[in-house]
Amino acid sequence: MTPAPAGPLFISPPVEPVVDWPRVLPVLVALPAVAILAWGLVRGRLPPAAGVAGLVLPIAAYGLGMLMLMEDSKDVRFCGSCHVMTPIVESMHATDDSSLAAIHYSRGLVPTAEACFTCHSGYGIWGTVGAKRAGVMHMLRSLTGRYHLPLELNGTFDINSCLGCHAGAATFRAVAAHQDPDVQQALLSHAVTCTGACHPAAHPEEALTGGKAPS
Amino acid sequence: MMRVAALLALIALAILIATAAHLDGATATMFSLAGMPALAAALGLYVIHRWRMGAFRRNSRASNS
Repeated sequence: MTPAPAGPLFISPPVEPVVDWPRVLPVLVALPAVAILAWGLVRGRLPPAAGVAGLVLPIAAYGLGMLMLMEDSKDVRFCGSCHVMTPIVESMHATDDSSLAAIHYSRGLVPTAEACFTCHSGYGIWGTVGAKRAGVMHMLRSLTGRYHLPLELNGTFDINSCLGCHAGAATFRAVAAHQDPDVQQALLSHAVTCTGACHPAAHPEEALTGGKAPS
Repeated sequence: MMRVAALLALIALAILIATAAHLDGATATMFSLAGMPALAAALGLYVIHRWRMGAFRRNSRASNS
């Protein structure tokens, strides 16, 4: 594989914030809480004001920490940090149009930093909530080893994630197959999906089997 | 009981700081499945401690210890 070209032009998003406040704020709130709780641990009691602070500050720190987790866990690097997902994230860098994910990722058709989240979450706040709920289940399965290779999508893929971008595109509307009423009905009723018959698989089979060649 | 609550809260905060320093699947799992339960247990123990000290009774003069 040829090395990726480097330079500030290729950094996304182009302007990095000087201070990463979502990560700094929970720590700033947690540090005085640590001091107060360490004091309470040593002495076995706390004065009234310190007791209130020792109660409120950890809750506030965890609230900010949850916001940080909600936002930063959209990152592709986060998704790829679990072993079972690493081959899938690596396969997105392919430039041979071997999978829908690679086509979208390598051509910049989805935000590259949040590519997984863009396609695997619904729209609006409930889409985000659903994706986070699924993420917690992924954690539990990874922790207990209760996942089976090859990985399979839980249920049917919500093609609204595709239509959110494609439905209004002139090139999508111009395709004769997309104009066929039967095809439209089959897609909207989840009888068929975009992948398989017409478009390449979302992810290569090798990536879904943990990077091993499918048997 | 107060010391156990403080210890559990300190463990929860240590996990939070580790998560903020390096966010990945492992630290996020620790945050969600160990940190949050530890903090909830600490708060529960603190509330029980305060209740046993009479803090929630009317005209209570219980200390905050």
